[in-house]
Amino acid sequence: MEEYTLLCEDSIDGILTGIYEAYQIKKEEGVESHDRIHLYAGEMVQQRLCMHDIHIKTDLEKSHKVIRTLVEKLSEENYYDLCLAMVSDGQDKADAVYHTVVRALQTKDRNMFAGLQNDYILKAFTYQRNANNELMHLRGFLRFHELEQGILYAKTGPKNQILPFLMAHFADRLPSENFMIYDEKHQVFGVHQKQKEWYLVQSDSFQEEELVFSKDEQCYAELFCHFCESIAIRERTNENLQRNMLPLRFRGYMTEFQSKY
Amino acid sequence: MFCKDDVKRKNMLFVPPFGDGMGIGMEMKTVMEKLEILSDAAKYDVACTSSGVDRKGNGKDMGNCIKGGICHSFAADGRCISLLKILLSNECIFDCKYCLNRKSNDVPRATFTPREVCELTMNFYKRNYIEGLFLSSGIIENPTYTMELIFQVVFLLRTFYHFQGYIHVKGIPGADPDIIQKTGFYVDRMSVNLELPTADGLKLLAPNKHRKNILAPMRQIQNGIIQGKQEIVQYKNAPSFVPSGQSTQMIIGATPESDYQIMSVAQGLYDKFNLKRVFYSAYVSINADKDLPALHTGTPLLREHRLYQADWLLRFYQFKAEELLTEKRPNFNVLLDPKCDWALQHLEQFPVEINRADYHTLLRVPGIGVKSAQRICGARRTGNLRFEDLKKIGVVLKRALYFITCNGKMMYHTKMEEDYITRNLLALPEKLPFQKDTMTYKQLTLFDDKVETAELFGGQKEILQRVV
Ligand code: SF4
Repeated sequence: MEEYTLLCEDSIDGILTGIYEAYQIKKEEGVESHDRIHLYAGEMVQQRLCMHDIHIKTDLEKSHKVIRTLVEKLSEENYYDLCLAMVSDGQDKADAVYHTVVRALQTKDRNMFAGLQNDYILKAFTYQRNANNELMHLRGFLRFHELEQGILYAKTGPKNQILPFLMAHFADRLPSENFMIYDEKHQVFGVHQKQKEWYLVQSDSFQEEELVFSKDEQCYAELFCHFCESIAIRERTNENLQRNMLPLRFRGYMTEFQSKY
Repeated sequence: MFCKDDVKRKNMLFVPPFGDGMGIGMEMKTVMEKLEILSDAAKYDVACTSSGVDRKGNGKDMGNCIKGGICHSFAADGRCISLLKILLSNECIFDCKYCLNRKSNDVPRATFTPREVCELTMNFYKRNYIEGLFLSSGIIENPTYTMELIFQVVFLLRTFYHFQGYIHVKGIPGADPDIIQKTGFYVDRMSVNLELPTADGLKLLAPNKHRKNILAPMRQIQNGIIQGKQEIVQYKNAPSFVPSGQSTQMIIGATPESDYQIMSVAQGLYDKFNLKRVFYSAYVSINADKDLPALHTGTPLLREHRLYQADWLLRFYQFKAEELLTEKRPNFNVLLDPKCDWALQHLEQFPVEINRADYHTLLRVPGIGVKSAQRICGARRTGNLRFEDLKKIGVVLKRALYFITCNGKMMYHTKMEEDYITRNLLALPEKLPFQKDTMTYKQLTLFDDKVETAELFGGQKEILQRVV
């Protein structure tokens, strides 16, 4: 029995195109089950050097068709969760999402992740949760600095590629601010101009040293650092708990943990 | 409702701010000093979550609110920093014995101007340091005057700075109901501190305060919320009154109430006053007084922890205080969490079959939390669950195994005997959120994951995450 392996780009549209093609292949080649077809994205692709692998080129039209089906047949929320799984750093996330979609469309269960006994679903669920947890953290832990012209600038280094989700959150919250968020791990900028739609830009030649901060920036950073210190109850000092709640990897980006203030 | 003129008429300090921040508007050094004094003075207040209300941005002004709340940082005590938590002033005409700011204490005093509070809030918010403002105050001159000052700040923040983020203020007991009412339309949450669990405790330690003065504004806020809900249905644009509900807190361990008394009070507050949250604050001994525990007495963190666990059982697990404790057994077992303790005393109700027991029954099994119970109900629709599956779902099997069967079988051959199970449960380490210090005990936790523990210790997941 033949196995099919599809390789796609590591992006939401790439994976969705892959899912579209997987359904095509199943139909055209008469494959008896989706279990014979596998879909991989990103790093997994580079590790494979197999002749029979099928490389999929990202096609927005195809991915949009898949999105429409997912939103109509499942739900907006399920689609959102799948997006989180697709931007996660799970190695085999594309395969997990693909097979989760197959099952969800078969069972028509609105609760897409209900069947956690199934390994694909468990994986997709876990990836979704990892990305979502990081998003929840960064919504709080991200720190903006005010630059000279009043532009707000933040730097972060998330494991999962959640920048678009962060942008959406802050665009709703700070509609009249000019701000940008730099994901240094994936070298992507999110840019928001006052009262406009946000967008992403890829960049690998960014010089942070060239930024000039506003005259108030230092004051507010210091005020906040003092606040964080005086708000703690000495008799309850508990650095373990603090570390559990605020893992060290976030602190390098956070104003209150910089020794300069 | 009222209008801007109201404020002017009352000749309050309504000065529209000009200038663009520190340089012109505020004197950095004084603000720094005030912030240190007035955040230090506010730190014992536990109610600092930013949850309970969802308000999307309006496309123009700064701020929105997220139902589950957001933690922005964690202080060295492990508690979440979500709001700019400050007192407007630590001047106080009262002399509550447990309080650092009491009249008879010789401590540095400071008072913010409304503008300073607004500038701090706006500038902290846009840097994503905070979710909003938590404002309380010592009593300046009298309760009504103090409440008016608080009102001024939130009025300025909402109408002049157009701040749309989260605001939580304290309702000052004894203040004119009118001013409490007006304030309610500008804030997301208002809370009145119960201070101590019983009227006797209050009389002993807070001679200027009266239980009825505390309950009156609590009732007023409750009625305001109920009425507000009806109005919103009628007119879509009616301003909402305290949309995220009210909370309260009480100090634990300064007075001799039993856990049973405390839990009964909490239950009453949930049932009769519709409170969103009751917070428990382990007493930190800061003042010397014959009516108080001796100075440097340890802070009763374990007791506070058990109370929060039990509070969780009241709110999400459909337990009643009198199921957990009785007059004869008035205090929680320090060795076991309240849910395990309950299960051990009701062994006749176990084991329960995972593939059939209803949601409420599942919730009562040690090792099964709200989320895992929901996941079990979802997953078993697609097929019978085995013990391996339960592990994946997040059930803490080493605890649950004494209380469940899967497809009619227990995981191991287990005796349904209280002593035997207790011994086994005690052998499991309990993850406590604090150091045990001098105490030596081994314990269990009823919390399956960090999120729930986070909530207890000032974290944010007030509304349980949408769960599969
Ligand atoms: S009223 Fe009592 S608790 Fe409040 S600040 Fe004054 S002394 Fe402290």
